[in-house]
Amino acid sequence: MSGQRAQLSRRGFLGGSLLFVAGTAIGCTSSPTGGSSSGAKTTLNVWSHAYGEAGTQQALTRYAAEFTKANPDIAVKVTWVPGDYTAKLNASLLTDAAPDVFEHGDFTQGLARRGQVAALDAEYGSVKDDFNQTGRDGVTVDGKLYGVKMIDDVMMLYYRKSVLAKAGIAPPTTFDALVAAAKALTTKKTKGLFVGNDGVGEMPALSLLSNGGELVADGKIGFAAPQAVEAVSALKRFHDDKSLLLGFTTDWWDPSAFVQGVAPIQWSGLWAMPAIEKALGDDFGILPWPAFKAGGTPVVRVGGWTSCVNAKGKNVDAAKKFVKWLWIDQTKLQQDWSESYGFHVPPRKSVAATAAKLSKGTAKEAVELAAKYGRINPNTWDSASGTPFVAAASKIVTGQGDAAALLADAAKQAQLAVDKQLS
Amino acid sequence: MNATTHTAPRSERAGRPADTPRGPARARRRRFDWRTWGAFALLTAPMLIGLGVFKYIAIGWSFLLSLSDAQGTIALGDWVGLDNYRQLLGDAVFRNSLSKILLFTLFIVPITFAASLGLALLVNRIRRGRAVLRTAFLIPAAVSYVAASLVWKMSLFSGMPAGIANMLGGWFGMEAVPWLQAGDPPLYWIALVTLRLWLQVGFYMVLFLAGLQAIPKEVYEAAALDGATGLRLLRRITLPMLRNTSVAVLMLMFIAAFQAFDEFYNLFGGGMSGSGTAPVKTPLMYLHDTAMGAQNYGLGSAGSFVLTALIVGVTLIQGRITGFGKSEE
Amino acid sequence: MTTVREGARTLRRPVRGLLAGVLMVVFLAPFYLMLRNALMDTQTLTSPEWTWWPSTMHWENFTDLFDDPTLDMGRSLANSLLIAAITAPVSTLLASAAGFALARIPVPGRGVILGLVLATLMIPGAATFVPTFVVVGSLGGVNTLWGIIVPGLFNPFAVLLFRNFYLQFPREIEEAGRLDGLGWLGLYRRIALPSSGAMLASLGALAFIDSWNAFLWPLVIGQDPSSWTAQIALSSFLTAQTINLPGLFAGAVVTITPLVVMFLVAQRHIVEGIAHSGLKG
Repeated sequence: MSGQRAQLSRRGFLGGSLLFVAGTAIGCTSSPTGGSSSGAKTTLNVWSHAYGEAGTQQALTRYAAEFTKANPDIAVKVTWVPGDYTAKLNASLLTDAAPDVFEHGDFTQGLARRGQVAALDAEYGSVKDDFNQTGRDGVTVDGKLYGVKMIDDVMMLYYRKSVLAKAGIAPPTTFDALVAAAKALTTKKTKGLFVGNDGVGEMPALSLLSNGGELVADGKIGFAAPQAVEAVSALKRFHDDKSLLLGFTTDWWDPSAFVQGVAPIQWSGLWAMPAIEKALGDDFGILPWPAFKAGGTPVVRVGGWTSCVNAKGKNVDAAKKFVKWLWIDQTKLQQDWSESYGFHVPPRKSVAATAAKLSKGTAKEAVELAAKYGRINPNTWDSASGTPFVAAASKIVTGQGDAAALLADAAKQAQLAVDKQLS
Repeated sequence: MNATTHTAPRSERAGRPADTPRGPARARRRRFDWRTWGAFALLTAPMLIGLGVFKYIAIGWSFLLSLSDAQGTIALGDWVGLDNYRQLLGDAVFRNSLSKILLFTLFIVPITFAASLGLALLVNRIRRGRAVLRTAFLIPAAVSYVAASLVWKMSLFSGMPAGIANMLGGWFGMEAVPWLQAGDPPLYWIALVTLRLWLQVGFYMVLFLAGLQAIPKEVYEAAALDGATGLRLLRRITLPMLRNTSVAVLMLMFIAAFQAFDEFYNLFGGGMSGSGTAPVKTPLMYLHDTAMGAQNYGLGSAGSFVLTALIVGVTLIQGRITGFGKSEE
Repeated sequence: MTTVREGARTLRRPVRGLLAGVLMVVFLAPFYLMLRNALMDTQTLTSPEWTWWPSTMHWENFTDLFDDPTLDMGRSLANSLLIAAITAPVSTLLASAAGFALARIPVPGRGVILGLVLATLMIPGAATFVPTFVVVGSLGGVNTLWGIIVPGLFNPFAVLLFRNFYLQFPREIEEAGRLDGLGWLGLYRRIALPSSGAMLASLGALAFIDSWNAFLWPLVIGQDPSSWTAQIALSSFLTAQTINLPGLFAGAVVTITPLVVMFLVAQRHIVEGIAHSGLKG
């Protein structure tokens, strides 16, 4: 590098000045760009994926500012990351520029076992028992807690009451009824069901769970079991009927397709409910993903985001302080975060109990559904095991290849990933 | 001093190409000339260091990494032999990505080749407005794959009735089709091929134009005197004279197609979930998911190697068949 | 050309002209769509009713783009500009310097060094992004602009082109320079470099385009929004959770405008550059 520098300066003005420009630019980017760093000893870099709900970014920045007010020696820079968040986060975690605090949508054991996230038992203290069971289970690895659940996202089916009533269709409570309803509601202008632009979305996992299957249990991949093959293969019926909305502009997490009447049934999240209520009043209802057949169970997915501390970061103590302050201690802010920008369920039981907006109407129904049928992804399920499953499933539903063989092949890959994670 | 050192060989070598310093130069080489060496080192050092670090060291390190269990780390040490290669070749997603990219290449290369050659012949024949025409065909080359994907995904081949393709179809009484998501028939190939065609065809057209303009007029005139016209002229004269350009173009197209990533990622990717359900995954997308998504740098390195070996292998075979690359020392 | 073919040509000329016209419209249509969509509001844009041109122009789509708190388009454009403005001249100069030395300066072992440089031509650029990431990552280049720039500065193909170019360079001029007391470095800087202006311009233009439109490498290495290029910002916009369609097209227009202008202004150099790149081998 230095040789290059010397040579370039000798080559004269042009090269030298260019290098100077480069140097300044690089110098600029490596200095903290966050706002309130004056007087602060440390600046925490906090990563958040780009939430779709309006106001979330401002809210998070506001929380950060309040934290700095309470802890003047720690400034917080919130980095808002649109796009493929997981890949960007993973690559950044390897580097010096890694965030000190980050949220994770699919907390996995691997993060803890590879030493990438710090244990937070001391931060939880006695409040630990106030977090709901799924929230704790999701972040527990070998008995220690490695993250704090920020929100529970409940996902279920929305349906337009008026459209179904007009077509004389009862809200579907079995898989067969859902297939039939989607087909019957498909017209020239609209499709019956929207599960995602790719026509796959969360369906493979939902269908499998609703048939008593498991993605992974006790370190063993379960999606190649007979009931899983049966459940995933059946999804092809939607594609054969051409009753799925595909290639819409926004994806399933956004209620636009449902609100605009392009699909009268849509899989989406509780977060979208305020927008739906605003647009449709009470002309909508919710349903769990129906049981696959007699003996199966309806399924509601519970996801959400978990706040983690980068164990290899430079400011681990300050980062822990921030996570404890915001996601454990500040119940008021947690409530604001859960209720004010789309609906989410606070993982702290005491906070959830006082959540006014979730205690009435359809939102309350959703919370009850979650308590009854809610399923979280096991924390051994990561992108390395999920990718082969989804790839196989998307082939199966479009009728490319034998379901059992494809799933068995994918299960082999996924098992390797799980074994690696647990070793 | 320089002047004296170099006057002697000058008289003999004047006018000859410079890269054959035999005879007198050999004598000069024996005396180690620091200034010559210094200049050589200074001029080549940045390039050599750069290539050394980013090509040779990178490849070497990565090769070692492909023999290690490197998940969530790029450190060496946890040797696992050929495990990564075994896992890679055992992965249906990777094997499928190879067969899909082969299919894509078989589509895109001949189509782009024919289209760019056709455009070049057309532009070459046109007298008035040739510059405007050339610009019109070349200007898409200024557009990035990302921007083009956006237009293709959100406007031309949107699944909604407002998508251009669906609207055109609607005028002829066709139903709206989800172009990018429909698996049967796989309509997404139409979007993929037209996108790349639009972006690249102008670039290769310019190459062919340069080749066409290098054909001496006399050759045509002689052939025309023999009564050759139209297609026969094209087959007998134009195409053989474009042989070198054609071979170069084919090679460039092949390498570009095999490394396709941008448009696949942007057309099929959605949201934070990446591109898990993409109907076609290219090898580079697989590598991106493996290395960047699952953080498995060992497996990702192994994949990089298999892909590189394939590209180098095909290039060499193609070079052997066409006698191409011989001038590259 | 000759009377024999004249008859056929006059007949075909209108057909050819028509074909050219139709193709031109097809090739320019996506630009029209981009601009049309960028100036619409979401409602007209998603309506199945066809509109040739928005009745009211929504220029605010462009200004909104730069006010969007979730996506710093201005900064991304600045990053792209900086990256391309450094990459183009530096990579071209480095290649020219190495090409000159490898063509003209006789030192023992030159053939071996040339071989080492040319061998890297075989290594496909994008397919080896994992190895490059490993090296740049270990040097601390993730999320930095230099991490995006530096690996792209070393182009063995340009070295080859420059070497071929300098091999053709008349020896007489070199000798004249030598008589003026120039050493090898002086010869390069005072004589070889000034006379390779066209090469520098055409290869520099191509390097600028490649750098501006690069996607995979900036995607891999620039994870933090502060180091995003315009292409990454646009792509993130495209895959974001909520989509503002007219804004997306406005973003596309903004990212392609600099290059379209460059193509119109410096087309001669670009065409020459492309013609050079076909000379490979």
